[in-house]
Amino acid sequence: MNVSELTLLVLRFGFLLLLWMFIFGIVYALRSDLFGQRVRKLKTDATPAPAFPLSAVPAAVPAAAAFAAPVARASPATDAEMATAHNTTRLVITSGPKAGTEFPLGTDTVTIGRSSDSSLVIRDDYTSTHHARLMLWNDEWMLQDLDSTNGTFLAGSRVTVPTKIPLNATVKIGATSFELRR
Amino acid sequence: MQSLSKASALSAQPATEPVRRLRLPQKLRNLELFLLLIACFINASAVVLVQLGALGELDPTLVLLGAGLSVLVISLHVVLRFVARDADPFILPIATVLNGIGIAMIYRIDIADQQGGWESAAVRQTVWSALAIFSAIVVLLVIRNHRVLFRYTYIAGLVGVLLLFLPLIPGLGQEISGARVWIRFGSFATFQPGEIAKIALAVFFAGYLVRNRDSLSMVGKKILGARFPRFRDLGPILVVWALSMSVIIFQRDLGTALLYFGLFLVMLYLATGRLSWVIIGMSLFLGGALIASQTLNYVNGRFTNWLDALNPDVYNAKGGSFQLVQGLFGLAKGGLLGTGWGQGRPELTPVPQSDYIIASLGEELGLAGLFAILALYLMFVARGFRIGFAGQDDFGKLLAVGLAFVVALQCFIVIGGVTRVIPLTGLTTPFLAAGGSSLVANWIIAALLLRLSDTVRNQPRLVV
Repeated sequence: MNVSELTLLVLRFGFLLLLWMFIFGIVYALRSDLFGQRVRKLKTDATPAPAFPLSAVPAAVPAAAAFAAPVARASPATDAEMATAHNTTRLVITSGPKAGTEFPLGTDTVTIGRSSDSSLVIRDDYTSTHHARLMLWNDEWMLQDLDSTNGTFLAGSRVTVPTKIPLNATVKIGATSFELRR
Repeated sequence: MQSLSKASALSAQPATEPVRRLRLPQKLRNLELFLLLIACFINASAVVLVQLGALGELDPTLVLLGAGLSVLVISLHVVLRFVARDADPFILPIATVLNGIGIAMIYRIDIADQQGGWESAAVRQTVWSALAIFSAIVVLLVIRNHRVLFRYTYIAGLVGVLLLFLPLIPGLGQEISGARVWIRFGSFATFQPGEIAKIALAVFFAGYLVRNRDSLSMVGKKILGARFPRFRDLGPILVVWALSMSVIIFQRDLGTALLYFGLFLVMLYLATGRLSWVIIGMSLFLGGALIASQTLNYVNGRFTNWLDALNPDVYNAKGGSFQLVQGLFGLAKGGLLGTGWGQGRPELTPVPQSDYIIASLGEELGLAGLFAILALYLMFVARGFRIGFAGQDDFGKLLAVGLAFVVALQCFIVIGGVTRVIPLTGLTTPFLAAGGSSLVANWIIAALLLRLSDTVRNQPRLVV
């Protein structure tokens, strides 16, 4: 079998093209890594409220209130007890589409964001791909905002530096709020 | 489907309830299989193109050998389906393509050197690939959770140092072209234990820094905006520095020393977040390298070859820049699109299948092909960093970034040396170059990254 120059030339370009198509195939599969996770509309079947997510907060309060009522709603003043590795066992969602769900806390960092490799994945229009994280510093739970677009709020004020979290204080990310509880 | 109904049941009940793990269909593994099939096709077409270009005909025996590699990587994929369902889907296809292109180039140089049969370098490389992929499977089966490695921090450190200095034992070690980094089994097989040592040392550094980083990161005086460590906290960095300097002096291997010291420095920076460690480390290493270049003959020679490569005296000298300049000529001949598989003369450069495989590939695939290979390395390393970034425990984070960085630094040292960015030092190009120990080490790194990425995704999660 004799191969002509032309065949070799075509095959040579073909190979380079194949190699680059493989690379762009991987890059295409990785696009959510580069440009952030795609925004998905919230489910509208549960209540009409989530269509405008902010109004979901009062709607969800009665469900959460059953739990939150006995606990004094302390503002994050200095006298409130801080969440540490010893007195905190869970994270409870208090408002948003999954209000009432709880999440066990161990000693590992909890990452929050729209990215699918976060521990707490919040997929609404207001969350960033890597939004915030909860981590243990010297046995105390700290809340760190990872330069999110719409901010992380601890008891109503925006978090800019890693901040200690009081027990039962509301942390708000997008349309979801949660508290750290015993 | 069952998992999805569970998830919807979860959202329907407002009452407090522990989170159940979501089990999605194996989307990641199917993506991996798709990419893997393309990767195997690329490898097969590389071998076929080598045969058409260099021999002008098809020789089916070696195509069969290439099929062996495909069977192995697909069996690794099947293992992943069972033991690491959520592992990263890109690492395996990228490693496969790099390994296959390496085998094709080694085969191409075998043809030029008129080597054939079962003794040839390409067959050897394929057998080593099989062994390497098999050890990756064993790693995935044995290590079900990377945190197990945290328990063996200090043992890993001891093993790493022992492996590093094994070639210095008389009778066991073997000196090849000046460097004493090989050990010999029997009459034919040589092994470079330093390649395995880099994994052991990455485990050790990660474990050690997670345990001891507070004293390295918190205290110290502030000078010119950067916080510098106390004098007594300099112990670890001085020990690692002394270790790498002794590698330069006794094993006469600049590249390995740079690799280990760079690995430690990056992991130290990552663990403490202090730039002052990088400043201290860089000045220590540059100081050491400068002294070595003045006092040690072989280091001095490397520097002359690098700075004055095109001088005819240096080019013609014994141990001069002949190899380096031949490599550059090869790259120049390749140009933008290369001469095509089997159509260049990469065999004119000494050791074109190991240290200079990048120059050989640059000649036959051109700048376009070389950039494709660099892009593959970039994506491999970026996946490693990504796994580290998404990791929940500090040990896993440090280990993932350390392992990925070792691959990146090794690429930089070798490719930078061949392209005259830095002085040339002998290291293998990960996955590509001929060399069994390097293949085994890099496939184990790939297996560890797969394991880490599986643990990262496979944890209690809540999707809102």
